[in-house]
Amino acid sequence: MTAASLAVFVVFFLSGFSALVYQVVWQRSLFAIYGINLESVTVVVTAFMLGLGLGSLAGGALSKDPKRPVLLMFAAVEAGIGAFGLVSLSLFHHVGMATLRLPSLVTALVTFVLVLAPTLLMGSTLPLLTAHLVRRSGNVGKSVGVLYFVNTLGSALASIAAVLWLLPRLGQARSVVAAAIVNLVAASIVGGFALVERRREHRA
Amino acid sequence: MSFSLSLWVAGLAGFVALSYEIIWYRAYGVVSRSMPTTFGLLLGAYLAGVAAGSLGSRAFCHDDARLERRRLLPVAAFVYLANLASFLVVPALARLVTSVRWQLSLPLVALSAGLLGAVLPLASHFGIRPDDRAGARLSYLYVANIVGSSLGSLVTGFVLLEHLSLRGASVALSLAGLALFALLGVSATSTVRGRAAVLGASAATLVATVAASGPAFEQLHERLFFRKQFTADKRFEHLIENRHGVIAVTDGKVYGGGVYDGILNVGLRHDPNWVFRAYALAAYHPAPKRVLMVGLASGAWARILAGLPGVERLTVVEINPGYLELIPKIPEVAPLLKDPKIEIVIDDGRRWIQRHPDARWDAIVMNTTWHWRGHSTNLLSAEFFELVRARLAPGGVFTFNTTLSEAVMKTAAVTFPYAQRMYNFMVVSDSPVAFDKARWKTTLTEYRMDGAPLLDPEHDAWDKKRLDDLLYLPDTLDRPPVWEGLESRESLLARFGHLPTVTDDNMWCEWHPSDLEEEDLSPRELDEPVVVEPFHERVEVRAGHLGRDVELVGDRLRDGVERGAPRARQRAPRGDADLVEREVELGVEIEQHARAVAEHGEQHPRVGDDGHAAQRLTSGGARRVST
Repeated sequence: MTAASLAVFVVFFLSGFSALVYQVVWQRSLFAIYGINLESVTVVVTAFMLGLGLGSLAGGALSKDPKRPVLLMFAAVEAGIGAFGLVSLSLFHHVGMATLRLPSLVTALVTFVLVLAPTLLMGSTLPLLTAHLVRRSGNVGKSVGVLYFVNTLGSALASIAAVLWLLPRLGQARSVVAAAIVNLVAASIVGGFALVERRREHRA
Repeated sequence: MSFSLSLWVAGLAGFVALSYEIIWYRAYGVVSRSMPTTFGLLLGAYLAGVAAGSLGSRAFCHDDARLERRRLLPVAAFVYLANLASFLVVPALARLVTSVRWQLSLPLVALSAGLLGAVLPLASHFGIRPDDRAGARLSYLYVANIVGSSLGSLVTGFVLLEHLSLRGASVALSLAGLALFALLGVSATSTVRGRAAVLGASAATLVATVAASGPAFEQLHERLFFRKQFTADKRFEHLIENRHGVIAVTDGKVYGGGVYDGILNVGLRHDPNWVFRAYALAAYHPAPKRVLMVGLASGAWARILAGLPGVERLTVVEINPGYLELIPKIPEVAPLLKDPKIEIVIDDGRRWIQRHPDARWDAIVMNTTWHWRGHSTNLLSAEFFELVRARLAPGGVFTFNTTLSEAVMKTAAVTFPYAQRMYNFMVVSDSPVAFDKARWKTTLTEYRMDGAPLLDPEHDAWDKKRLDDLLYLPDTLDRPPVWEGLESRESLLARFGHLPTVTDDNMWCEWHPSDLEEEDLSPRELDEPVVVEPFHERVEVRAGHLGRDVELVGDRLRDGVERGAPRARQRAPRGDADLVEREVELGVEIEQHARAVAEHGEQHPRVGDDGHAAQRLTSGGARRVST
């Protein structure tokens, strides 16, 4: 395994970690605004999944062109997630308060829109990195398997860490800041590798 | 595998996996008493399993095997095993928790999720060519998986759990899993015989699953609820399962989601659930015309509040409509559904209040759940208190159950300029808060429940003592603070002002269950502690201010479990809701004994479980009387 591949896996682990921290915190934040009855919970969870699905389509579409710098795109996506994370709770609060009295269907739509941008970005990461690895290994199953493993492992640890450590000690706002820092670190690492790789390719 | 087949596999796998996650969360919610860590731990185990499954699936991803039909067989085998393991998680959990902690069952979740999690990478490998379009095709597969997951969430959450029990929903999911197995198995074989074998195996497994589900799910909720205290003779009198949760009734106690919700009692003669706190609203407000109550549960409080002097309208917001099915079955509370004063709304309490900005109430009452349960912050934070404050009419009071969270008491005391603690309740307002002793006496003596007085002090010695004890309540305000009494805002802030304010952000009450220091509020001021030496148990008892309503504060060891009130709570695992039940049981037990003593004199022979220790307790001391 090359240093670049290792970096990709480490970064994707961090990406999965921060994504789950966001999910846990955002869910709680949105439940406080829109309620914790089953309908609200379903809207929030479904909005998350649909956002991830659409993001996956977007990432897949972007990765079709073999000339596109998927690693750099991934770095940009991570930076975007982190940037959104930093303003997310404030945004949720203000939009939530402004729309709370609207009909349920409208608030469901608002919830969907609120989480659409970050989940689109999150959903796009797997296809982008898969495209990157397949270009090198030529094996889809192994590439997806390892990526999925590290990303999901990061999410699993984040899920446990969120309820045992992050939320009890940091609360929601500071947990989100911590997740955003992780995103920005991930973006820096993979962006750095991508730039080095591009220089090498240009030299070659 | 064709790409279209891999899309179906990914979609169905997502459907089954997320559906099972919802089923598991329902069971784990009950068994863990809805602790705030439950979701994270379950999801962590689930995702760890998925991660391991995806890694393990690499062993089947051979470059030369992608186009071979028979290579689908391992995928089919994964699906079959995943389905079997997933189906068994809930019954296995129910059996494990009768002897070990529920967290130890999480590896079962990881194993099942791991088998399910292997399916997506395998479907990707066998369905996607390793070319420049791999990323794009993977995205379609991923979308199919997410669409399946979303549908699983909707179908299982809204339909299956609404109309089926956990057993029925599990069998239905098993059917879906077997359909996926059959799809893969048939695709993996090219002969008629092979396909017939796959279909036959699927049908046989389904029949076996249905047949085994009866014994496997027998007394499932009783096991999940009673855990180590489960015995075969324990059965719920009422059990309501719907998409909002599980409501169970046993021994006159109501449990929602595995947590004590209340006792089916509206009277004061036997008051193990301190229902006098509902009547006490009359002492704090002369005529609360419009009353809002958040949380209906068994309905005892709503029934009482609607009958208080001056109440013209009682609006109750309840999140689980299942209680409306339960209440008609309980004679003590059934009349409330026909009370024209009472309006019941099914909604999230906080959201409903937020959506009614122009409404004002003379009293807002919440006898809601334990502060350490997940999402309790939504009703106990400073932000919520400010919301309630804005909805109070001039002179209005907000009274709610802190479930003995000191941080919640402090939060209420700093949010409102006027505050008072009454037992585990806070009574707060923008106007001065005062307990009116005259109105209290009037309420206790003149209130009629179904036409009958609450107490008959002139003809019943026990009732007279009860009345005396209840009338003594406001006098406790001038004495050193005890939990079984009143306490001023100043005293509360002096004792708990150093604690953090509970906010939506820090969710303090959920992560920091009450850790009462007995010394802080020792009832020694009223009665010295006494030690009873029973035959089989050591019980230290101490009389509370209510005399015969003795609070058990010591250790009571039975079946290796500590029982008792505040001190036991300290020693038990944080947030262990079993204590709630034990506490209530003891309250009933002690009160029954005290009443018997009042009726039959000091020689009345028993309090205790199983014919074991018998103690008699009085406000002045305790003596063992018999076994």
